[in-house]
Amino acid sequence: MRRSPKWTLFLGALLVLALGVAACGGSSGGSSESGTSQGTPAKGKQGGKLISLWAGDVDFIDPGETYYQMGTQINRATQKMLYTPQVDDATKPLPDLAESDPQISSDGCTVTVKIKQGVKFSPPVNRVVTSKDVKYAIERGFFNTVNNGYAGAYFGDLKGAKVGVKPGTTISGITTPDSNTVVFNLKPRKAGKCTGGVLAGALSMPLSAPVPKDYAAKFDAKNPSAYGANQVATGPYMIKNDASGKAVGYKAGKSITLVRNPNWDKSKDQRPAYVDEIDIQEGNTDTTVSSRKILSGNSMISGDSTPPPSVLRTAVTRQKDQLQLVPSGGGRWISLNTTMKPFDNENVRKAIIAGFDRDALVKTRGGSTVGDVPTHLIPPGLQGFNEAGGMKGPGDDFMSHPTGDMQLAADYLNKAKAEGVPVSNGKYSGGQTFLMVGDSDGVGADTAAVAKENFAKLGFNVKLRQVAHDAMYTKFCNVPSAKVAICPNVGWLKDFANPQTYLDPTFNGANILPQGNSNWSQFDNKEINKQMDDAKTLTDPQQISQAWGTIDKNLTAMAPTISWIWDKNANIESKNVQGVIDQDNGLWALAYTSLK
Amino acid sequence: MAAYIVRRLLWVIVLLFVITLITFIIFTVLPAADPALLRAGRQPSPELVASIRKQFGLSDPKYEQFFRYVGQILPFVNAKGDQDSFLKINFGYSFQSNTLVLPEIISRMGPTIMLTAGAVVLWLLIGIPIGMISAIKTGSWLDRLTMGIALIAISAPVYFLGLVALFLFDDDIGRFPILPGSGAYGDATSFAGKCGALIMPWFVLAASFAAVYARFLRGNLIDTLQEDYIRTARAKGLSERRVIFRHGVRSAITPIVTLLGLDIGILLGGAILTETVFNIQGIGRYAYEAIVRFDLPVIQGTVLFGAFFIVTMSLIVDILYAFIDPRVRY
Repeated sequence: MRRSPKWTLFLGALLVLALGVAACGGSSGGSSESGTSQGTPAKGKQGGKLISLWAGDVDFIDPGETYYQMGTQINRATQKMLYTPQVDDATKPLPDLAESDPQISSDGCTVTVKIKQGVKFSPPVNRVVTSKDVKYAIERGFFNTVNNGYAGAYFGDLKGAKVGVKPGTTISGITTPDSNTVVFNLKPRKAGKCTGGVLAGALSMPLSAPVPKDYAAKFDAKNPSAYGANQVATGPYMIKNDASGKAVGYKAGKSITLVRNPNWDKSKDQRPAYVDEIDIQEGNTDTTVSSRKILSGNSMISGDSTPPPSVLRTAVTRQKDQLQLVPSGGGRWISLNTTMKPFDNENVRKAIIAGFDRDALVKTRGGSTVGDVPTHLIPPGLQGFNEAGGMKGPGDDFMSHPTGDMQLAADYLNKAKAEGVPVSNGKYSGGQTFLMVGDSDGVGADTAAVAKENFAKLGFNVKLRQVAHDAMYTKFCNVPSAKVAICPNVGWLKDFANPQTYLDPTFNGANILPQGNSNWSQFDNKEINKQMDDAKTLTDPQQISQAWGTIDKNLTAMAPTISWIWDKNANIESKNVQGVIDQDNGLWALAYTSLK
Repeated sequence: MAAYIVRRLLWVIVLLFVITLITFIIFTVLPAADPALLRAGRQPSPELVASIRKQFGLSDPKYEQFFRYVGQILPFVNAKGDQDSFLKINFGYSFQSNTLVLPEIISRMGPTIMLTAGAVVLWLLIGIPIGMISAIKTGSWLDRLTMGIALIAISAPVYFLGLVALFLFDDDIGRFPILPGSGAYGDATSFAGKCGALIMPWFVLAASFAAVYARFLRGNLIDTLQEDYIRTARAKGLSERRVIFRHGVRSAITPIVTLLGLDIGILLGGAILTETVFNIQGIGRYAYEAIVRFDLPVIQGTVLFGAFFIVTMSLIVDILYAFIDPRVRY
């Protein structure tokens, strides 16, 4: 899931600047992971109404379409996906609609899932969920009226699966031998091995939430599908609807009202679902105002936005019990185009990382409160993080100096000089100008400016072109033909705990696309590509962690990018809220949070 | 007069067509970002992008896309005639929420109209008397004081004034928590509650307009009061009150009507900053969200809607001129 970008944009920054409270470095108050209810959730009180203040909206309200964090937060309250990450440990998926762990064949080509009996859809469907509903849910992700953003990436290896098919098209690779069993059959990738392990991980994504074909087909036949506005639920909550099933509780860009699902059976669910109603109020673009409302008010929690640095500083010192900082499972980096000289030289890249003041970059976002300077690539909260070295890292010297080490940088540049790179007095002396394309607004613009200074310090002439965030991606950084040398504002967030979802799209050479490319460094190393392709066919969680931890170490040693922050999400709550964090999503877990 | 109105109405159609074309060119032919890629998410395989382009007709030639769009927005013409559409007008679907654009715009008209109407009343009630008094008492301490305040009000941007008002008076976070603040309009369920929620936005929105109108009227009235016919009126022995109100203000206020008409048109198209600061879910806020999310159909719809109000108000103003200015005849 890429973090929803909408709340970061110009007006918020403008307003904050107008009050003179933005930017100005980071909090030196020291970060704290403390807050309420960290770890295993405490028992809460039943009843009440919880209010969540959002700046923007979900990307899509349809579980088959949504890809980003906020849509996932809603779906974890309203739907039963086959699996769901344990709320206090993202690396451990729990059966949700599924009855038990998935059975993956040794070659990874067959994944069998048994689903719980007796789970019912919310009104107006009111019937028991069967395996056919899971099959249809995944099939509709490939419909050209739905066009799910990740169906191809994680379910594309299913036999008979094809992106952009007509509504109603079935996938032969999903079979339902009985009403409680779903079998996924995959095409082998190499040497008879399949990616069943990856698919099993993706069964915790909203696409696996069951959808009743008999009810949804007529909505899916429309272009675009209208199922989202008429959806039914299987989780403890549902979007408030009318008798026909129309989700009247969803007002795009305004509000989302979740009420109890009358057909939800608590005995078949791990979620306590304490509150009776959850009101999501959107349009709270000014995060200073919304954060203060939450901290001084009642029954409120933060949604898609982080408190601005000024409020965060106060919260860290005076309202610690109303703040929870949690690793988001994502990170940010400055990509160096490895197809361009001199960034194709490993020693040059190591020199840049070694000399970069990454701590100053972190300060542009609010300092150590909102993130740590990475020692390798996989961020905390993913499998493989500890295997790659944990917080301490694998020990690469160029990654060990958060504020930069100019002597070490000079040493690496001198090594590069021996390989033909123009270097003079420990600085790059090639003379050419490199195009850097960054954000024009918000903290991203500050990050880009600091990055430019650091490049200059190392002898690189950089021309910074600042454009709108979306244009930065779709017109420049995501398009290799745009020949951008440096992208200072790129980042990634895991889709689920498997590190494949973090490293494969961003550093596997096979994923360099002409458009929509996320391998921004265009890093293409045959050995690394092979290691990743092999790791994708693993099925055992321990082996997955080990393999991706090793890949991370190897990748980090090749310095493919300037990794400068492992993000933390800052979540705030009112005094009378007993919030519980979903460690996987880095946001409040709506179905676990209660009022005191 | 009738011929003039018909002529102007035809001109309105031409204007709206040109605005549609310009908007289309800016956002579709020369877009800052590719909507298909934005919608595809972050792992956009070529197959997925191609499917999305087909889904929204983005792979068709640009002229075809334009004429399809024009066909959809013409009343009673749209062959598909979505059952939810108003007069069969279809502004298309939001790329982001899959909702029809026109019903969304219509659902947001209420807040925008209420915000505009209240602010207009306020700024006229404040601006016109101040302008008149300043003109009559030119150079006095009252004139200097009111014009000084007006200058401050003009100089303070709405987003700044709005935030200051919130931090002072918002009943949740304000220093003097006496008025409903950000998001209160959406929470209010009654008309009175909605009016209460709009008190702060009304004053904030009206502040700079009232100041502009006061200064504008003051200047006009000072000029008018120097005219020969005013001197003649005074020489005829008319009371000063009658000279000022009957002869002076009536003439000086005519350009204000033009200004007012255009300002109302612009605000009905969306008071973006005020709606954003106070989280009022009106057309301006909808437009703002669309620009942030690069939601082309919504941007096109809101621009066209705003343009419609501006040209319509301009037409109404021109017609009103015939009644308020005896020199104007059509």
